[in-house]
Amino acid sequence: MTANIFLNGLQYLGYILIFPGFLFCFVCGMLLTGIDRKLVARMQKRVGPPILQPFYDFFKLCGKETIVPAAASRTTFLMAPLVGLAALVVIQLFIPIHGFSAFSGMADIIVILYLLLIPALAAILGAAASGSPYAGVGLSREMVTIISCELPLVLILLAVAKTVGNAMGTGLCFSMSDIADYQVQHGSLITRLSMIPAAIAFAMVIPGETGSHPFDTAEAETEICEGMHAEYSGAPLAAFKLSHAIKVLTLTSLFVALFFGGIGTGLVALDGVIVFALCVIATALFISFVHAVTARLKIEQVFKYYWTVVSGLALVSLVLAWYGM
Amino acid sequence: MNLANMTDYHHFPIYAIMVLFLGAFVVSVAGAKPSGNLKNPAGARAWIALCATGLSLFFLVMLIKPVMLEGEIIAYWMGSRAIAGGYAIGIALEVDALSLFFALLIATAVFVSAIYSIRYMVHDDCVPQYYVLYCLLAGGVLGLVLSGDIFNMFVMVEILTFAAVALTAFRTKVYGALEAAFKYLVVGCMGSTAILTGTIMLYAQYHTLNLAQLASLIPGTLNNATKLAFAFLYIGFSTKAFIVPFHPLAADAHGAAPASISVLISGVLTKSGIYGIIRLTYFLFQTMNLGSMQFMLVFIGSVSMFVCVTMALAQHDFKRLLAYHSISQIGYVLAAVGLSTSLGISAGLYHAMNHTLFKGLLFLAAGAVLHETGTTDLGKLGGLSKKMPHTTALFLIGAFSISGVPPFNGFASKWMIYQASYQKAVETNNIGFLAVTIIALVTSTLTLASFVKVSQSVFFGQLPREYENVKEVPFGMRLAMGILAVLCILTGIFPNTVTGVLTQPAAKAVADVGEYITAMGFKSNLPVPEVSFVQVGVWEPINWLLILCIALLALTIVAVAGKYDRVSENEGEQVETKYQLFYGGEKNVYSQVGGGDLFWGFKHNWRHYFDFMHDLHSGIVNDYALWAVVALALAIVYMMIVL
Amino acid sequence: MFQKLIAESTAKSPWLFHINSGSCNGCDIELVAILTPRYDVERLGFKLAGSPRQADIVVVTGPVTKQSLNRVLSTISQVPEPRCIVTMGSCPQSGNVFKGSYSVCAPLSQYVHVDVDIAGCAPKPEAIIDGLAKATKILKEKRGRM
Repeated sequence: MTANIFLNGLQYLGYILIFPGFLFCFVCGMLLTGIDRKLVARMQKRVGPPILQPFYDFFKLCGKETIVPAAASRTTFLMAPLVGLAALVVIQLFIPIHGFSAFSGMADIIVILYLLLIPALAAILGAAASGSPYAGVGLSREMVTIISCELPLVLILLAVAKTVGNAMGTGLCFSMSDIADYQVQHGSLITRLSMIPAAIAFAMVIPGETGSHPFDTAEAETEICEGMHAEYSGAPLAAFKLSHAIKVLTLTSLFVALFFGGIGTGLVALDGVIVFALCVIATALFISFVHAVTARLKIEQVFKYYWTVVSGLALVSLVLAWYGM
Repeated sequence: MNLANMTDYHHFPIYAIMVLFLGAFVVSVAGAKPSGNLKNPAGARAWIALCATGLSLFFLVMLIKPVMLEGEIIAYWMGSRAIAGGYAIGIALEVDALSLFFALLIATAVFVSAIYSIRYMVHDDCVPQYYVLYCLLAGGVLGLVLSGDIFNMFVMVEILTFAAVALTAFRTKVYGALEAAFKYLVVGCMGSTAILTGTIMLYAQYHTLNLAQLASLIPGTLNNATKLAFAFLYIGFSTKAFIVPFHPLAADAHGAAPASISVLISGVLTKSGIYGIIRLTYFLFQTMNLGSMQFMLVFIGSVSMFVCVTMALAQHDFKRLLAYHSISQIGYVLAAVGLSTSLGISAGLYHAMNHTLFKGLLFLAAGAVLHETGTTDLGKLGGLSKKMPHTTALFLIGAFSISGVPPFNGFASKWMIYQASYQKAVETNNIGFLAVTIIALVTSTLTLASFVKVSQSVFFGQLPREYENVKEVPFGMRLAMGILAVLCILTGIFPNTVTGVLTQPAAKAVADVGEYITAMGFKSNLPVPEVSFVQVGVWEPINWLLILCIALLALTIVAVAGKYDRVSENEGEQVETKYQLFYGGEKNVYSQVGGGDLFWGFKHNWRHYFDFMHDLHSGIVNDYALWAVVALALAIVYMMIVL
Repeated sequence: MFQKLIAESTAKSPWLFHINSGSCNGCDIELVAILTPRYDVERLGFKLAGSPRQADIVVVTGPVTKQSLNRVLSTISQVPEPRCIVTMGSCPQSGNVFKGSYSVCAPLSQYVHVDVDIAGCAPKPEAIIDGLAKATKILKEKRGRM
């Protein structure tokens, strides 16, 4: 009995620390950003950095001196990156991989919507605690970006909940693992008419949530000195860079789990690879390609874009889902 | 009367009320001359008020077991004058789970605020009067929610309104205090008058004032006079809850009153209004099964939610901002209650409770800032976290709670509201309720934005030079905030316990009107309803927290092993250039990014809306009185048409 | 092993911060030229950082005018260790044609230790890349000594 509990605990610890927790997040997230940088470079006819470049950046930053400005609030300044990172790893645990779900039985999509706020909030509070005016402008823009992305995300997730609920006969389904199971049995949600606008809208939300071009107003390095991270150096900055990498993984794998969930074999290891491959494709299409062809928007344009074009698409999807298409 | 009889819990409701009114009396008599303690001349009075509120809370807590858990409804006739000839002649208290739920909220808020007042009011004059009014206000609200007849509700409304008006104007030196009190007086009196008029109209028709008896008589006999009474009563309680269109009063009153009173106005007075509306719609007139009434409450709730959160985003004063958020959260409560499902009511009451806790905490934090710096202007403050670390931490707990960040309590209740509204939409196949879910979710993010603004403008960012010598607030004030912060966390982590013990019994009581009527000794043929609290979603805060803690622990171990905390910091008085902020090489000057316009990227797109709102909220009391009249007229027309 | 990994990574991921201390803009344009597809130093891991807190290599151009001297020095001090200071073009090394002017403080090495000088007016991109590659070696050494 105790041995059983011990083994169970070990298993869950393994989930948290290795797969799909820290180690998986670290490696895959970093690889995704590496691939992204390489692809952008290739699209611009450059050779580009090695795919392992994000790893080098991370370890280099770990070896640098960490300077805490005299004006900063020390505890918040140092804790914020860690909390954000931990929260992101926890979200990744909640996202099912094909049929396999480490903890996604206890996650529903509204919870995930709210958990996605925590890393952003941690970054914002860290920036606020640094006391820099550049960080102040950056956090203002980051918050507006969050508000911008929130409305389309809400509409998309409600549409998904309604579609899966309709198909399951309960009328409503919030549970992440139920959505995954449904797709395993009945094929991906993208095959349904009502989900196509939602998928497109979600693809448009990905660059906004991850803060990549053209929605990287919050970290605009050429105008507001990296914005929120203006005063961060060394290991905390490394944590932020890692958070950004994991966020790319989280959003793309959420996209895959919501709309392409039916693709898989049932073997967890293989499914992990397949999901990762799909994430790479999503990153290439929605982050790298968009990055390469666009220039940075102004913050009010970001807001306008999300609350009109993207929300409109998501709303179409919601209405279609409502009438059972 | 022997002792065993005295300690019978059936007497506890009246004790809870009387203790406060007696406290008011004793405070005014005690200490006619200043006590010996020069540092704190009001000491004795503060302690009397504290004892009175504490005792009152104690009596109510003792009632949890019989009323909440065992489902008893306490019907208490004052002076043993029960029903005579089929009519309720005497004064009655009737305590069901709903009344007790609100009473507990109120007593908690009042008690914590009394702890806070001890140190907070030290620098004010006229402290004796303050505590008299304080106890009167608390007793008034408590009497309102425990009362079993509608005329007593009106009397209590009068008591609390006048106490609240006087307390709003208490700091006469504060700019705008008298004006705010005057506005509140005018519109508040219109509300009280509306309640009195409605009461009279009901009495003229049914010859009784007892709530239970009215509830047994009114349904099915709605004529034009009753509908008129309904409209009057509804508008009357709306002014007490400050919901749209009465929200500008709240902003003025909260902004001007001392923080400990703002806690009561936002956490307690608004709740009394919500309580009145629930009693009115679910019990007296039993109209909540009508789609039109559900639409009215949900619509007004959603409008309150959204309009007030956008108004809050435009504010540049800490307390006014909190005031608008207060109404925004009340909008959540009203919308959830208006769904008329058991889950919705339970969620709404849960949110009402959480609102009392976190908004109390936030107002107390605002009071702490005001106490130390003398201002609540967001544009003038900044960087206080280095000087007031505890207050900052407590404020952040409150801010996370109100913005619905997991695992704090705001998230638990808001998440239930989303589910309840979406479930309602699916059940009735009405896409209108879906809009409520969307508005509630977006409002939540806007709330977060607004509190990011506050934390950047007040607690983080740069410290202005004139606040170099600011100190942390005294322990007594931090203790009061700490109690609320702990409650915020506990009610967030254990949502099932909270709903099981407190809100679900109350929601059952709302559903089971027949029991309320028969408990008082009247006949009712209302069926016992089926209640279900089934939720679609899953949220296991403890497990989630466990995973997060393991993840954080693992990270911390790695970080400590990697010497994460070995940072280089400035030592000595003079700040070396290395540790100054990066300004492109310039010398550091004070340049705080914050204040009312922090999110201009958002506001720019909504500028026409904000201009419109700015013009609408003129701040002229005549306009607001006109709003009240128009609202009353609209309510009357609406009730005449749909009922 | 971990220390070795960090030292290796330090050489492979140098981030630049560029300070113009009154330059004629010639060197600045050449510095941007090395990021273009033709030369693409990103393949070596170079990246322009927006804030000195995130930089490893500080590139100073211009003759260090009196106005800019303190600003240059305070910005350099805000770069975390290990850091490498590179002067680019002849101006910060000698003052170039501005030498002897009342308003010019060059050479920069009077005030702060300079690790690499890249000569030329303006230096060719190849020369800049060579200088920066040298700087990364120095960076790695400095990391090893920490």
